[in-house]
Amino acid sequence: MRPKKAKIRSSGGTVTAVVVMRLYIADGAPNSVKAVANLEAICKKYLKGSFELEIVDVLEFPQRALAEGVLVTPHLAKLSPSPAAMVVGNLSDRRSLLGALGIHE
Amino acid sequence: MTERVANGRVLRLVKGGPERRALDSGQVDAVLDRETGTALLLPDARRALASAGGQIANSLLAALPRQDYQGLLAELEPVTLTYGETLYQPGERIRHVYFPSDSHVSLLVLVAGNKALEVALVGREGMVGMPLAMGVDDSPVRALVQGTGTALRMKAGPFRDALAACPPLQRELYRYAYDKLAQARQTAACNRFHAVPARLARWLLMTRDRVRSDRFHLTHEFLADMLGVRRAGVTNAATDLQRRNLISYHRGDITIVDRKGLAAASCPCYEIVRNLAS
Repeated sequence: MRPKKAKIRSSGGTVTAVVVMRLYIADGAPNSVKAVANLEAICKKYLKGSFELEIVDVLEFPQRALAEGVLVTPHLAKLSPSPAAMVVGNLSDRRSLLGALGIHE
Repeated sequence: MTERVANGRVLRLVKGGPERRALDSGQVDAVLDRETGTALLLPDARRALASAGGQIANSLLAALPRQDYQGLLAELEPVTLTYGETLYQPGERIRHVYFPSDSHVSLLVLVAGNKALEVALVGREGMVGMPLAMGVDDSPVRALVQGTGTALRMKAGPFRDALAACPPLQRELYRYAYDKLAQARQTAACNRFHAVPARLARWLLMTRDRVRSDRFHLTHEFLADMLGVRRAGVTNAATDLQRRNLISYHRGDITIVDRKGLAAASCPCYEIVRNLAS
């Protein structure tokens, strides 16, 4: 699952490299529900399909989350393009979310 | 795990950094515990999941006005009850009351040391720990988990406070107490006059109503205690129902094959108590 190594156009805040992310949640829990909603809104507005998002329910796969270094949920890991980044919490802090995803408004 | 223990553990696991900041600002639902290899839900998340989608499984709680139920939520702790677990022994102080969601609990009277008789079955329609609602601190019966599942439990102190402050809860509990009294009266007559296969059919149907499945597991011992007969009596009764193609019973695994037929084979107490409770 390699991200396209396309040039990043800086105008209009769009990113053309595919952003690969993994969101760790506790399915159905309030902050997790918010995090999914917030992330989906940002992806729809700024990434327009150039993203891959995997959602991992830590209640179902706690061992996997532990193996991947997750301590609390919600936990968003941006895997690609580099640099890797992470944000924890319900992702309502727009600025830190955009920063982690490498999106500049 | 109690809420206080869980909170202490969570704070030890999340020491600093952005994770601690997120935790402190209430933005965290669960914490991963390396030691146990599990995810620990924080209390708010656990409570939200317990009343997920607005569906309250326990019908006694569901009957309360929404606001009153929300008021109880802080003290209601989701727990898992496991088949064979004893919640109270006769004479034991009642420390928690339980509102089953998809579990159910048998109440047994103990006679002459080790003989037992089931006198009531509590599922999502009721509460385990009724003596507390009547001002009695100790359990007169053994409360034994018969069906594994989840329940909401509340400590005795907060329950007494909640009851004093919430008239709708009082009304629901007293109505439930009346249902149970009617059930107990009927059961007394049933145990005395009705034949064992008919009584077995009744208890199987009651279990089916609470489990909401035609298949469940009940050991010979359980059934013997439920009916107040010896194991041979259980075998005879079960064989009888099986021969009539109403159930299949193999090593404790029961399948109700013909529900209508089983209801016809049951003593009238099944329908009588069912109508009282609705």
